[in-house]
Amino acid sequence: MLALNTPTLDARAAARLTGFPGFLRANGFAGGGGDAVPVLQTAQRVGLLDSHVLRWSLQALLCGRADEWRRFDELFDAWFLPANRWQRPERREADDGALSGDQPSGAAGDAEAAADDDEVRPRQAASRQEVLSSTDFRALTEREHALDIEALMRRFARQLKHVRLRREVRARHGRRLDLPGTIRRSVASGGTPLHLAWKDRRQVRPRLVLLIDVSRSMAQYSFFYLRLARALSAELSDVYSFLFHTRVTAVSQALHDPDPWRAQERLHLIAQGWAGGTRIGESIAQFNREHAARIVHSRTAILVMSDGYDTGEPAQLSESLRQLRRRARRIVWLNPLCNRPGYTPISQGMQAAIPHLDLLAPGADLASIRAVLPSLIEALR
Amino acid sequence: MSSGRAQELAAWQRDLARVGYIAEPSLVAALLLMQDLGRPLLLEGDAGVGKTEVAKVLATLRHTRLIRLQCYEGLDAHAAMYEWNYQRQLLAIKLLEHDERGIAQKEQDIFSERYLLKRPLLEAISCDRPPVLLIDEVDRADEAFEAYLLELLSDFQLSIPELGTVHATSRPLVVITSNGTRELSDALRRRCLYQYIDYPDYEKELAIVRCKAPTVAAELAQQIVAFVQGVRRMELQKKPGIAETLDWTAALLRLGISVIDIDGAERIMQSLSALIKTRDDRAAFPREAVARLAAAC
Repeated sequence: MLALNTPTLDARAAARLTGFPGFLRANGFAGGGGDAVPVLQTAQRVGLLDSHVLRWSLQALLCGRADEWRRFDELFDAWFLPANRWQRPERREADDGALSGDQPSGAAGDAEAAADDDEVRPRQAASRQEVLSSTDFRALTEREHALDIEALMRRFARQLKHVRLRREVRARHGRRLDLPGTIRRSVASGGTPLHLAWKDRRQVRPRLVLLIDVSRSMAQYSFFYLRLARALSAELSDVYSFLFHTRVTAVSQALHDPDPWRAQERLHLIAQGWAGGTRIGESIAQFNREHAARIVHSRTAILVMSDGYDTGEPAQLSESLRQLRRRARRIVWLNPLCNRPGYTPISQGMQAAIPHLDLLAPGADLASIRAVLPSLIEALR
Repeated sequence: MSSGRAQELAAWQRDLARVGYIAEPSLVAALLLMQDLGRPLLLEGDAGVGKTEVAKVLATLRHTRLIRLQCYEGLDAHAAMYEWNYQRQLLAIKLLEHDERGIAQKEQDIFSERYLLKRPLLEAISCDRPPVLLIDEVDRADEAFEAYLLELLSDFQLSIPELGTVHATSRPLVVITSNGTRELSDALRRRCLYQYIDYPDYEKELAIVRCKAPTVAAELAQQIVAFVQGVRRMELQKKPGIAETLDWTAALLRLGISVIDIDGAERIMQSLSALIKTRDDRAAFPREAVARLAAAC
């Protein structure tokens, strides 16, 4: 990469610049505008003397999404400014070469590598202790019954494809004549429409949004639901997953990560506050506020996975679900406690929620999900 | 060299302001870089922060055409790239019936460029002067469309089965906007420069109001912006964008309001339909709330 002709940049500056994309990737950037070559091109265009212009230009080049955009300034400072604010800045000097190549977290699971990782993450260095004391996500990749879940979710995804929503597309046999298509075909027969073209309803899956309760009372089920979410995300493209306990956190990106180790790593960071209390109403209100406008549209089905034990106000839960119901197509609640014999949803939270639900179904394990699948599909229709 | 760039940046910022767009320096840097590297620029941000406007002023500044493709759910390649003019083709077939030429030649005639309807994407790559191509709200289109788009953005060529491959005669400047209703693919993001546009802060919005509505008294403009900034801090389903601020300014002028204070709360209430656009949000603005906001201005 350094072989690129860089007459105006001295070697040290060039080395520093080429290391920057790798540093960003090590900090969870998806790889935005590419690697060393465009960075050097940009720097050559822009020059190095004015750090603001360089910063803005690299920001445009290397960011790919809003959260990266917001974190960029800090990382730019950490990498380019004289080191005095970050812990053990000499590490960065040493890492310089390594970072421009593979990212250090490659040796996944290795304690040494994990420690190195923290070194280059200025923001997250302090949270090491907390992460260790939080729940272990290793279970997420356990082979045992992960395969079953994948198989079931594949089935679910396949059945979901049969849920038809209104959208027309050209088809061999259909309900309505496709006029441009018919004329297009008639060109071959000298303008006489011998073969008719048709339109039919296209099958469009509903979008799924999963809201997974990970509070303490759900501890024994939340891994199961996370695995479910991961398998479902692998199967369908239009799935959005969120965790909530006292607040909501988006985890779609972490779950989509093709590298299971890195997915775990990212979930680790999200896990702060994991297995604490529950404020379902507040969490859903936060979801409405921050995510619903973007993600929830008229084809969206919301799946809430929670036991309904809420320490917040039932009125807030009811209100926030009512708001969400107006945006979404369906709301389905999977409650693991429903499996227990003699369970009736009398908890205040459940009582507040039920009027707004399209379906309340049991879902403590694979067998019960399997049993509930037909009615789930029916509810999403 | 770098000071040259900084000067260039400042000059662009001035030019943008001249045509009515108040831009952050980081956006100007991205616009310059986009022209240097020939990459598309992906703009993200909430509705109403001025994403679409960027493409318009870019076209104005470069004295070139703006070609706009508005994306929507179900947008297909035909609507975005090209379509044959079937009616004219049919007519031509009838006229050619008694023509002596061979079938192959007739066919070539019928599928020639004369019968091709250019849709925005094809038009953008077949202009003489590089135009600005605005692909608006790309997140509304399907993922399949994103794939078409990627092909265009990487090679700047389109293949039309009956006609062959059309190469770009000029590379358009591509501006893509997204409201983030759907997660865009990493492949698309990788090809683009990125800029996140936030709601403007007080100073910037004031500059915008002064620029777009020069007849407003300085004091009223300050109050308007302070009020709108206060509204944005509230928890609303739909926060007012810059367009709403300007609409509201016009509404206030129309109602003859020259100062925002507690006494005028009643009349401000009448004008709020220009600022607040959902029923739930409207319910969050009883008279007391308006009076409180007005008092803080």
